[in-house]
Amino acid sequence: MNCNETRQHWDLYHDSEGDPALHFQINEHLAVCPDCAQWFAQQSRLEHLLTEKLKAGPWTPDLWDRVLTSAGLKRPVPSRRLFLLASVAACAAAAVVLLFWGKLFSPGVPAQDLARLSADWHERLSQGEEPVQFHSESDLAVEAYLRKRVSFPVRCPPRKDAGFAVSGAGTGELGGQSAAYLAGAIDSTPVSIFILHKDSLDKFPDQLRAVRRKNPHHCREGDYQMVLRLIDRNAVVAVGRAPADSLEKVLNAYASYPDHH
Amino acid sequence: MAKGPTKAETFLRHLEPLRGALEAYCRRALYDRGEVQDVLQSVVANAYRDFDLYAQGTNFRAWIFRYVHLEVLNYNRRHGRDRHEELPAAGPAAEEARSPAPDEPLFRALLDDPDAVLDQCDEAVAEAVRELDPVGRATLLLQAVGEFKYREIADILQVPIGTVMSSLSRSRARLRQRLVRYGEEQGLLKREAPPGPGDQRGDS
Repeated sequence: MNCNETRQHWDLYHDSEGDPALHFQINEHLAVCPDCAQWFAQQSRLEHLLTEKLKAGPWTPDLWDRVLTSAGLKRPVPSRRLFLLASVAACAAAAVVLLFWGKLFSPGVPAQDLARLSADWHERLSQGEEPVQFHSESDLAVEAYLRKRVSFPVRCPPRKDAGFAVSGAGTGELGGQSAAYLAGAIDSTPVSIFILHKDSLDKFPDQLRAVRRKNPHHCREGDYQMVLRLIDRNAVVAVGRAPADSLEKVLNAYASYPDHH
Repeated sequence: MAKGPTKAETFLRHLEPLRGALEAYCRRALYDRGEVQDVLQSVVANAYRDFDLYAQGTNFRAWIFRYVHLEVLNYNRRHGRDRHEELPAAGPAAEEARSPAPDEPLFRALLDDPDAVLDQCDEAVAEAVRELDPVGRATLLLQAVGEFKYREIADILQVPIGTVMSSLSRSRARLRQRLVRYGEEQGLLKREAPPGPGDQRGDS
């Protein structure tokens, strides 16, 4: 595949659509063509920023109260006087909590670190300190196992042609957020892939900022490399002692699978 | 014997995680923020009325977004904003739309430093989205805000998947053209930007 052909397929690649074979060919081209690799990264970054802009703004509780009330799905808001009383009580309670919180945790609670948490978990899995919940080398079996256990989309694990040989899977929590993991190896080096719902990244502000600046985001945690990538509705983290390029390749392969949810 | 959840409880449980996306979609697809509540009220009322027809375990997200899409379409048409238009054809038009028709050096400057423009172009983006044809706008928003796959978008809009691909490509190109124009008007993008990788584009 040449540069023109590769660039013509940017939409499909960026949106994780199309034939996995096409993604494989694109990845092969990007691996040897730095110009196209940079072009793809720039296009994706612009698209990511535009998407964030289109999504911007949290949902509005008042508006939804009115919508649900008018549809008969919610009781009308209580009387104004009661509402005022409740508000005053809530404010007082909040003030007390904040006072105690400030005393206990000043100067501030450190933000959770996704890199450290995932590196710790990977270490426990790879050292056998935590048993892998489900052992299988079958992509389909692992996928079926996970889909019954997590509420967010989990895709087929990466193919072996991306260098990742899956050996098992399980679920748990990363910083209080529901997560699934795929245990496996790249060239016999243990690697774990953690999958969270994208919204869970709100709990990891440092990584959220970093991946918004550049998707995928690379970092190191001790001896481990970590690559974080937003893939559709998921935040996917690959951790291990394997080279960062190999981890990213695995995530690229992961992204090439269709979202069945 | 324990009572199962009511229809309303089940409906709300499905709706809850989608509130942000539904509201954002309406905000972008409608012309006035004040209209968002009207449209969402109709959507929720109609979807709840038909909730018995929804097959549990299937894609609720896509199911309710079909209601949103139709309600927005009707609302904009009723208010004389969107004309009934022919669906854009898939094929060469997609290729044409893909090429960044705007001034190439300025587009490269945008790619090199998108934050400079994107940090202050809210209104330009909103306007550009509203200027898209109805299918193009719906496709772009379903992909960006709804996070749907092409196949799901095709099902929601009831169009061929090729139309989704060409519409999305065209809408993205138009949005980028608008950003370049805005950046140029505001003096945020300079024509003498250093040459990017595209300059030495060759086949590997």
